[in-house]
Amino acid sequence: MHKIADIEIQHDIMVANKKLARRNQKIFDKANTFSIDVLGAIGSGKTSLIETLIQKMDYKIGVIAGDVISKFDAGRIERYNVPVVGLNTGKECHLDAHLVEHALPDLPLKDIDLLFIENVGNLICPVDFDLGSHIRMVVISVTEGDDTAEKHPLIFKDADLVIINKVDIADAVGADSDKMVADVKEINPDINVIKSSLKTGEGLDEIISAIDGFIKDR
Amino acid sequence: MHELSMANAMVKTVLDVAEKNNATEILEVTIEVGQLTMLNPEQLKFLLDVLVENTLLEGSKINIEEVPVEIDCKTCNYEGLPNMDGSDHYLAIVRCPECGGRNLEITAGRECNVKTIKIEQEDDADASGSE
Ligand SMILES: Nc1nc2c(ncn2[C@@H]2O[C@H](COP(=O)(O)OP(=O)(O)O)[C@@H](O)[C@H]2O)c(=O)[nH]1
Ligand SMILES: [Mg+2]
Ligand SMILES: [Zn+2]
Repeated sequence: MHKIADIEIQHDIMVANKKLARRNQKIFDKANTFSIDVLGAIGSGKTSLIETLIQKMDYKIGVIAGDVISKFDAGRIERYNVPVVGLNTGKECHLDAHLVEHALPDLPLKDIDLLFIENVGNLICPVDFDLGSHIRMVVISVTEGDDTAEKHPLIFKDADLVIINKVDIADAVGADSDKMVADVKEINPDINVIKSSLKTGEGLDEIISAIDGFIKDR
Repeated sequence: MHELSMANAMVKTVLDVAEKNNATEILEVTIEVGQLTMLNPEQLKFLLDVLVENTLLEGSKINIEEVPVEIDCKTCNYEGLPNMDGSDHYLAIVRCPECGGRNLEITAGRECNVKTIKIEQEDDADASGSE
């Protein structure tokens, strides 16, 4: 004999990811590690910014290189003698909390005050997947076009800090960086938006003090 | 987008629950997908149809329900749909349709939820085996 049964599952994959993310954050907190999810388009300057901050900031820094070809990014970071784990995301379009969880045992978290997690270069897919980081820093650049923000509101709505990079070449690519700042503010009025150039050093002090601020009032 | 990994996770969830409940057949699956997830229901459906081959889910009816976006305005307490009649519906999540306020929380539209399944099971099977 057979019978028919209706079963409530209510398993939300996004919620499941959030639970894992909270678990990651507990691990960070226990080790006293402040973590930053670094998001942005391909080539916007995520790795370059991390490299610069490693040199300029006084924290013990660690990095999870999660972009698609993480091997290359990890190699760049290794030159600064900081702990780095390259995540093999393969064809994934975003990191998720589970992938990050797998990287954690390979990092000496107790010796890391500040952990950067470089996400996959993509302004859409990573948005829905918390990693457990304390803040999200979105790095976009003028070369992606000055309509980037209005085209991708969600990533800016969920961000804690936004960097508009490569302003040194804004004129050359015909992009209005002030418009980009205004667009982000339209989406997220209270957020700190910093224009930067990793070539001239513009905006770096501001980025550093913004991150310092987040760490202080964690 | 990441329809493939989502579809994989959904199939796994359904098969796990079906097995725990001694299903002999899965008749129907209902999945909720939020309109803000950037998951394309058509593509999801296609991938699910491919992934279920040779599993208990092969031939099951798969319902994908789209969940509309809802916002909660912290300024005027408006709760409900954002103004979606503009041409660019993503920007609509940014402003409250009542007061124009921008301090909004998105309360629905981001789900990717395996909601229910309808299965056939042996009569003496223990249906409480899911927990
Ligand atoms: N002109 C200019 N180039 C930059 C700036 N920041 C990064 N770049 C260059 O942009 C390219 C991509 O940078 P990368 O850090 O690899 O981007 P990622 O893909 O976001 O990690 C590299 O060639 C960098 O040298 C900047 O502020 N100005
Ligand atoms: Mg990179
Ligand atoms: Zn309102």
